[in-house]
Amino acid sequence: MIEQIRVNVAAYAVARGDAVISTLGLGSCVAIAVHDLATAVGGLAHVLLPSESMSRDRDNRAKFPGTAVPLLLEEMRKLGATGPFTAKLAGGASMFGALLPSGGVNMGERNVEAVRRALGVAGIGIAAQDTGGDYGRSVFLHVRDGRLVVRSLNRGEHVL
Amino acid sequence: MDDIRSLKANQLDALREVANIGAGHAATALSQMTGGTIMISVPTINIARLEDVPPQITAPEEPVAAVLMNMLGDLTGRTLLVFPRPTALRLAGLMLNRRAETEIDLGEIEQSAIKEAGNILSGAYLNALSDFMGLMLLPSPPSLAVDMSSAVLTTAYLQFGTDRDYVFCVETEFFMLELNEKLRGFFLLLPDVASLHAILRAIRVA
Repeated sequence: MIEQIRVNVAAYAVARGDAVISTLGLGSCVAIAVHDLATAVGGLAHVLLPSESMSRDRDNRAKFPGTAVPLLLEEMRKLGATGPFTAKLAGGASMFGALLPSGGVNMGERNVEAVRRALGVAGIGIAAQDTGGDYGRSVFLHVRDGRLVVRSLNRGEHVL
Repeated sequence: MDDIRSLKANQLDALREVANIGAGHAATALSQMTGGTIMISVPTINIARLEDVPPQITAPEEPVAAVLMNMLGDLTGRTLLVFPRPTALRLAGLMLNRRAETEIDLGEIEQSAIKEAGNILSGAYLNALSDFMGLMLLPSPPSLAVDMSSAVLTTAYLQFGTDRDYVFCVETEFFMLELNEKLRGFFLLLPDVASLHAILRAIRVA
Protein backbone atom coordinates (compact mmCIF):
# COMPACT_ATOMS: atom_id res chain seq x y z
CA MET A 1 0.00 0.00 0.00
CA ILE A 2 1.52 3.28 -1.08
CA GLU A 3 0.59 6.29 0.99
CA GLN A 4 -0.38 9.37 -1.05
CA ILE A 5 0.40 12.74 0.55
CA ARG A 6 -0.73 16.01 -1.03
CA VAL A 7 1.20 19.21 -0.35
CA ASN A 8 -0.63 22.51 -0.82
CA VAL A 9 0.80 25.88 -1.77
CA ALA A 10 3.35 27.06 0.82
CA ALA A 11 3.19 23.74 2.68
CA TYR A 12 5.47 20.72 3.09
CA ALA A 13 5.42 17.04 4.00
CA VAL A 14 7.94 14.34 4.88
CA ALA A 15 7.57 10.58 4.75
CA ARG A 16 9.49 7.33 4.96
CA GLY A 17 9.26 4.22 2.80
CA ASP A 18 6.35 3.52 0.50
CA ALA A 19 4.82 6.96 0.03
CA VAL A 20 4.33 9.45 -2.76
CA ILE A 21 4.39 13.14 -1.85
CA SER A 22 2.89 15.37 -4.51
CA THR A 23 2.05 18.97 -5.22
CA LEU A 24 -0.16 20.11 -8.10
CA GLY A 25 -0.16 23.04 -10.47
CA LEU A 26 3.13 24.82 -9.78
CA GLY A 27 3.44 28.07 -11.68
CA SER A 28 6.14 30.44 -10.53
CA CYS A 29 6.38 28.46 -7.27
CA VAL A 30 9.10 25.82 -6.86
CA ALA A 31 8.85 22.29 -5.46
CA ILE A 32 11.95 21.28 -3.49
CA ALA A 33 12.29 17.53 -3.11
CA VAL A 34 14.96 16.35 -0.66
CA HIS A 35 15.79 12.68 -0.38
CA ASP A 36 17.93 10.36 1.72
CA LEU A 37 18.38 7.11 -0.19
CA ALA A 38 20.01 5.15 2.64
CA THR A 39 17.01 5.47 4.97
CA ALA A 40 14.32 5.97 2.25
CA VAL A 41 13.17 9.25 3.80
CA GLY A 42 11.97 12.08 1.58
CA GLY A 43 10.51 15.54 1.97
CA LEU A 44 8.79 17.97 -0.38
CA ALA A 45 8.16 21.70 0.08
CA HIS A 46 6.13 24.00 -2.19
CA VAL A 47 7.80 27.41 -1.80
CA LEU A 48 6.04 30.56 -2.88
CA LEU A 49 8.36 33.53 -2.47
CA PRO A 50 12.14 33.93 -2.88
CA SER A 51 12.65 35.95 0.29
CA GLU A 52 11.03 36.61 3.66
CA SER A 53 11.63 40.31 3.11
CA MET A 54 8.79 40.26 0.53
CA SER A 55 6.24 39.21 3.09
CA ARG A 56 4.80 40.39 6.40
CA ASP A 57 3.39 37.00 7.22
CA ARG A 58 6.58 35.04 8.00
CA ASP A 59 5.37 32.38 10.40
CA ASN A 60 5.04 29.77 7.72
CA ARG A 61 8.51 28.35 7.18
CA ALA A 62 7.46 26.34 4.14
CA LYS A 63 6.71 29.54 2.21
CA PHE A 64 10.35 30.59 1.64
CA PRO A 65 13.35 28.57 0.38
CA GLY A 66 15.70 29.89 3.10
CA THR A 67 13.51 28.47 5.87
CA ALA A 68 11.90 25.56 4.01
CA VAL A 69 15.19 23.69 3.41
CA PRO A 70 16.21 23.58 7.12
CA LEU A 71 12.60 22.69 7.99
CA LEU A 72 12.62 19.72 5.60
CA LEU A 73 15.96 18.50 6.99
CA GLU A 74 14.78 18.78 10.62
CA GLU A 75 11.59 16.87 9.90
CA MET A 76 13.39 14.24 7.81
CA ARG A 77 15.92 13.65 10.60
CA LYS A 78 13.02 13.04 12.98
CA LEU A 79 12.01 10.17 10.66
CA GLY A 80 15.50 8.75 10.89
CA ALA A 81 17.20 10.34 7.90
CA THR A 82 20.95 10.66 8.30
CA GLY A 83 22.06 11.92 4.91
CA PRO A 84 23.79 12.35 2.60
CA PHE A 85 20.84 14.22 1.12
CA THR A 86 20.16 14.94 -2.52
CA ALA A 87 17.72 17.48 -3.93
CA LYS A 88 15.59 17.77 -7.04
CA LEU A 89 13.69 20.87 -8.15
CA ALA A 90 10.77 21.62 -10.42
CA GLY A 91 8.68 24.71 -11.19
CA GLY A 92 9.71 28.34 -11.39
CA ALA A 93 7.86 29.00 -14.63
CA SER A 94 7.22 32.42 -16.08
CA MET A 95 3.65 32.74 -17.36
CA PHE A 96 1.91 35.77 -18.93
CA GLY A 97 5.43 36.87 -19.90
CA ALA A 98 4.12 39.53 -22.29
CA LEU A 99 2.79 41.55 -19.34
CA LEU A 100 6.00 41.59 -17.33
CA PRO A 101 7.48 45.08 -17.17
CA SER A 102 10.68 45.09 -19.22
CA GLY A 103 13.65 44.60 -16.92
CA GLY A 104 11.23 43.63 -14.15
CA VAL A 105 11.87 40.71 -11.86
CA ASN A 106 10.74 37.29 -12.84
CA MET A 107 9.34 35.59 -9.76
CA GLY A 108 9.89 32.07 -11.10
CA GLU A 109 13.58 32.67 -11.83
CA ARG A 110 14.08 34.35 -8.47
CA ASN A 111 12.43 31.46 -6.69
CA VAL A 112 14.72 28.96 -8.42
CA GLU A 113 17.78 31.04 -7.61
CA ALA A 114 16.77 31.35 -3.95
CA VAL A 115 16.20 27.59 -3.72
CA ARG A 116 19.63 26.87 -5.19
CA ARG A 117 21.18 29.25 -2.67
CA ALA A 118 19.31 27.70 0.27
CA LEU A 119 20.40 24.21 -0.79
CA GLY A 120 23.99 25.47 -1.18
CA VAL A 121 23.94 26.85 2.36
CA ALA A 122 22.71 23.48 3.64
CA GLY A 123 25.42 21.70 1.60
CA ILE A 124 22.95 19.68 -0.45
CA GLY A 125 23.73 18.91 -4.08
CA ILE A 126 21.10 19.25 -6.80
CA ALA A 127 20.74 15.93 -8.57
CA ALA A 128 18.26 17.11 -11.20
CA GLN A 129 15.96 19.99 -12.00
CA ASP A 130 13.18 20.89 -14.40
CA THR A 131 12.61 24.61 -13.99
CA GLY A 132 11.71 27.72 -15.99
CA GLY A 133 9.75 27.77 -19.20
CA ASP A 134 6.24 29.16 -19.48
CA TYR A 135 4.14 26.22 -18.32
CA GLY A 136 2.80 24.78 -15.08
CA ARG A 137 3.92 21.51 -13.52
CA SER A 138 2.74 18.92 -11.01
CA VAL A 139 5.34 16.82 -9.19
CA PHE A 140 5.29 13.45 -7.42
CA LEU A 141 8.15 12.37 -5.15
CA HIS A 142 8.45 8.61 -4.74
CA VAL A 143 9.93 8.41 -1.29
CA ARG A 144 11.23 4.83 -1.50
CA ASP A 145 13.70 5.48 -4.34
CA GLY A 146 13.74 9.27 -4.70
CA ARG A 147 12.25 9.43 -8.19
CA LEU A 148 10.59 12.78 -8.94
CA VAL A 149 7.91 12.51 -11.60
CA VAL A 150 7.07 15.82 -13.27
CA ARG A 151 3.81 16.23 -15.18
CA SER A 152 2.62 19.10 -17.36
CA LEU A 153 -0.42 19.61 -19.61
CA ASN A 154 1.31 19.60 -22.98
CA ARG A 155 4.54 17.80 -22.25
CA GLY A 156 3.25 14.72 -20.49
CA GLU A 157 5.23 13.01 -17.75
CA HIS A 158 8.92 12.49 -17.22
CA VAL A 159 11.11 11.27 -14.39
CA LEU A 160 13.89 13.27 -12.77
CA MET B 1 -5.94 51.45 6.26
CA ASP B 2 -3.25 49.44 4.57
CA ASP B 3 -4.60 46.11 5.64
CA ILE B 4 -7.22 44.74 3.28
CA ARG B 5 -8.65 42.60 6.06
CA SER B 6 -10.00 45.65 7.85
CA LEU B 7 -12.61 46.54 5.20
CA LYS B 8 -16.06 47.17 6.64
CA ALA B 9 -19.26 45.43 5.60
CA ASN B 10 -20.68 48.47 3.78
CA GLN B 11 -17.42 48.87 1.88
CA LEU B 12 -17.47 45.24 0.80
CA ASP B 13 -21.10 45.67 -0.31
CA ALA B 14 -20.18 48.72 -2.32
CA LEU B 15 -17.28 46.87 -3.96
CA ARG B 16 -19.60 43.99 -4.85
CA GLU B 17 -21.98 46.46 -6.44
CA VAL B 18 -19.16 48.01 -8.47
CA ALA B 19 -18.13 44.55 -9.65
CA ASN B 20 -21.73 43.72 -10.49
CA ILE B 21 -22.00 46.73 -12.77
CA GLY B 22 -18.77 45.77 -14.51
CA ALA B 23 -19.73 42.13 -14.86
CA GLY B 24 -23.21 43.04 -16.12
CA HIS B 25 -21.71 45.01 -18.99
CA ALA B 26 -19.20 42.26 -19.71
CA ALA B 27 -22.04 39.71 -19.80
CA THR B 28 -23.97 41.88 -22.26
CA ALA B 29 -20.88 42.09 -24.46
CA LEU B 30 -20.41 38.32 -24.26
CA SER B 31 -24.05 37.72 -25.09
CA GLN B 32 -23.84 39.98 -28.16
CA MET B 33 -20.62 38.35 -29.23
CA THR B 34 -21.91 34.79 -28.95
CA GLY B 35 -25.61 35.32 -29.61
CA GLY B 36 -26.41 33.27 -26.51
CA THR B 37 -27.82 33.79 -23.06
CA ILE B 38 -25.32 34.67 -20.38
CA MET B 39 -26.05 34.63 -16.67
CA ILE B 40 -23.85 36.02 -13.95
CA SER B 41 -23.63 35.27 -10.26
CA VAL B 42 -23.60 37.82 -7.48
CA PRO B 43 -19.94 38.84 -7.15
CA THR B 44 -18.02 37.37 -4.27
CA ILE B 45 -15.11 39.07 -2.60
CA ASN B 46 -12.21 36.87 -1.67
CA ILE B 47 -9.74 38.11 0.85
CA ALA B 48 -7.51 35.18 1.55
CA ARG B 49 -3.95 34.29 2.23
CA LEU B 50 -2.09 33.56 -0.98
CA GLU B 51 -1.66 29.94 0.00
CA ASP B 52 -5.42 29.48 0.48
CA VAL B 53 -6.72 30.91 -2.76
CA PRO B 54 -6.15 28.58 -5.70
CA PRO B 55 -8.60 25.72 -5.05
CA GLN B 56 -11.63 28.00 -4.85
CA ILE B 57 -12.30 28.21 -8.56
CA THR B 58 -11.52 24.85 -10.09
CA ALA B 59 -9.50 21.74 -9.32
CA PRO B 60 -5.76 22.60 -9.24
CA GLU B 61 -4.84 20.65 -12.37
CA GLU B 62 -7.93 21.51 -14.42
CA PRO B 63 -6.89 22.92 -17.80
CA VAL B 64 -8.04 26.50 -18.23
CA ALA B 65 -7.49 29.31 -20.67
CA ALA B 66 -6.79 32.49 -18.73
CA VAL B 67 -6.55 36.01 -20.11
CA LEU B 68 -4.64 38.44 -17.91
CA MET B 69 -4.59 42.18 -18.51
CA ASN B 70 -2.99 44.98 -16.54
CA MET B 71 -5.27 47.81 -15.54
CA LEU B 72 -3.71 51.24 -15.86
CA GLY B 73 -4.81 54.84 -15.45
CA ASP B 74 -6.40 56.13 -12.23
CA LEU B 75 -6.45 52.60 -10.84
CA THR B 76 -3.85 49.88 -11.09
CA GLY B 77 -4.30 46.18 -10.79
CA ARG B 78 -5.27 43.35 -13.08
CA THR B 79 -8.24 41.66 -14.62
CA LEU B 80 -8.16 37.91 -15.08
CA LEU B 81 -10.65 35.90 -17.10
CA VAL B 82 -10.61 32.17 -16.44
CA PHE B 83 -12.32 29.82 -18.88
CA PRO B 84 -12.25 26.10 -18.06
CA ARG B 85 -11.29 24.17 -21.19
CA PRO B 86 -14.83 23.26 -22.40
CA THR B 87 -15.86 26.91 -22.12
CA ALA B 88 -12.70 28.08 -23.87
CA LEU B 89 -13.28 25.68 -26.78
CA ARG B 90 -16.91 26.71 -27.24
CA LEU B 91 -16.11 30.38 -26.89
CA ALA B 92 -13.42 30.09 -29.55
CA GLY B 93 -15.89 28.21 -31.75
CA LEU B 94 -18.51 30.93 -31.35
CA MET B 95 -16.00 33.69 -32.02
CA LEU B 96 -14.87 31.89 -35.17
CA ASN B 97 -18.43 31.08 -36.32
CA ARG B 98 -17.95 27.35 -36.15
CA ARG B 99 -20.81 24.98 -35.58
CA ALA B 100 -21.07 23.54 -32.09
CA GLU B 101 -20.42 19.97 -33.21
CA THR B 102 -17.17 20.87 -34.95
CA GLU B 103 -14.19 19.30 -33.20
CA ILE B 104 -11.74 21.96 -32.26
CA ASP B 105 -8.50 22.20 -30.44
CA LEU B 106 -6.86 25.22 -28.86
CA GLY B 107 -4.59 26.05 -31.78
CA GLU B 108 -3.13 29.42 -32.62
CA ILE B 109 -6.31 30.82 -34.19
CA GLU B 110 -8.50 29.62 -31.34
CA GLN B 111 -6.11 31.09 -28.77
CA SER B 112 -6.12 34.36 -30.60
CA ALA B 113 -9.95 34.33 -30.60
CA ILE B 114 -10.01 33.70 -26.84
CA LYS B 115 -7.56 36.52 -26.27
CA GLU B 116 -9.78 38.82 -28.30
CA ALA B 117 -12.85 37.72 -26.36
CA GLY B 118 -10.95 38.47 -23.16
CA ASN B 119 -10.03 41.86 -24.51
CA ILE B 120 -13.66 42.71 -25.32
CA LEU B 121 -14.97 41.43 -21.99
CA SER B 122 -12.37 43.18 -19.86
CA GLY B 123 -12.88 46.32 -21.93
CA ALA B 124 -16.64 46.25 -21.27
CA TYR B 125 -16.06 45.59 -17.56
CA LEU B 126 -13.55 48.39 -17.17
CA ASN B 127 -15.56 50.86 -19.27
CA ALA B 128 -18.58 50.35 -17.03
CA LEU B 129 -16.44 50.83 -13.93
CA SER B 130 -14.83 53.88 -15.39
CA ASP B 131 -18.22 55.50 -16.24
CA PHE B 132 -19.68 54.64 -12.87
CA MET B 133 -16.77 55.90 -10.81
CA GLY B 134 -15.66 58.76 -13.00
CA LEU B 135 -12.14 57.37 -13.18
CA MET B 136 -9.95 56.75 -16.18
CA LEU B 137 -9.18 53.06 -16.64
CA LEU B 138 -7.06 51.67 -19.43
CA PRO B 139 -6.56 47.98 -20.13
CA SER B 140 -3.17 46.73 -21.35
CA PRO B 141 -2.99 44.28 -24.27
CA PRO B 142 -4.14 40.82 -23.17
CA SER B 143 -1.83 37.92 -22.37
CA LEU B 144 -3.06 34.34 -22.57
CA ALA B 145 -1.99 31.20 -20.71
CA VAL B 146 -3.49 27.79 -21.33
CA ASP B 147 -2.43 25.70 -18.37
CA MET B 148 -3.34 24.15 -15.03
CA SER B 149 -5.70 26.35 -13.08
CA SER B 150 -3.57 26.48 -9.94
CA ALA B 151 -0.41 27.44 -11.86
CA VAL B 152 -2.24 30.22 -13.68
CA LEU B 153 -3.89 31.67 -10.58
CA THR B 154 -0.92 31.63 -8.22
CA THR B 155 1.20 33.22 -10.93
CA ALA B 156 -1.39 35.93 -11.57
CA TYR B 157 -1.52 36.77 -7.86
CA LEU B 158 2.14 36.39 -7.08
CA GLN B 159 4.05 37.62 -10.07
CA PHE B 160 1.90 40.64 -10.64
CA GLY B 161 0.35 41.46 -7.28
CA THR B 162 1.84 44.02 -4.93
CA ASP B 163 0.68 42.31 -1.76
CA ARG B 164 2.58 39.08 -1.21
CA ASP B 165 0.52 37.82 1.70
CA TYR B 166 -3.12 38.44 1.02
CA VAL B 167 -5.07 38.38 -2.18
CA PHE B 168 -7.98 40.71 -2.69
CA CYS B 169 -10.10 39.60 -5.54
CA VAL B 170 -13.64 40.27 -6.68
CA GLU B 171 -14.93 37.26 -8.52
CA THR B 172 -18.00 36.93 -10.71
CA GLU B 173 -18.95 33.60 -12.15
CA PHE B 174 -20.75 33.56 -15.46
CA PHE B 175 -22.63 30.85 -17.29
CA MET B 176 -23.23 30.42 -20.99
CA LEU B 177 -26.36 28.45 -21.76
CA GLU B 178 -25.44 26.45 -24.81
CA LEU B 179 -27.27 23.43 -26.17
CA ASN B 180 -28.54 22.45 -22.73
CA GLU B 181 -25.02 22.62 -21.51
CA LYS B 182 -23.94 25.05 -18.85
CA LEU B 183 -20.49 26.42 -19.55
CA ARG B 184 -18.89 28.43 -16.80
CA GLY B 185 -16.19 31.00 -16.57
CA PHE B 186 -14.86 33.49 -14.09
CA PHE B 187 -14.15 37.16 -14.15
CA LEU B 188 -11.65 38.33 -11.52
CA LEU B 189 -10.83 41.90 -10.68
CA LEU B 190 -7.57 42.26 -8.76
CA PRO B 191 -7.06 45.87 -7.74
CA ASP B 192 -3.80 46.82 -6.04
CA VAL B 193 -4.30 47.85 -2.42
CA ALA B 194 -3.77 51.54 -3.11
CA SER B 195 -6.37 51.37 -5.88
CA LEU B 196 -8.84 49.70 -3.58
CA HIS B 197 -8.80 52.87 -1.54
CA ALA B 198 -9.19 54.96 -4.67
CA ILE B 199 -12.28 52.92 -5.61
CA LEU B 200 -13.75 53.38 -2.13
CA ARG B 201 -13.13 57.13 -2.34
CA ALA B 202 -14.70 57.35 -5.79
CA ILE B 203 -17.88 55.67 -4.56
CA ARG B 204 -17.76 57.65 -1.31
CA VAL B 205 -17.46 54.85 1.19
CA ALA B 206 -13.81 55.44 2.07
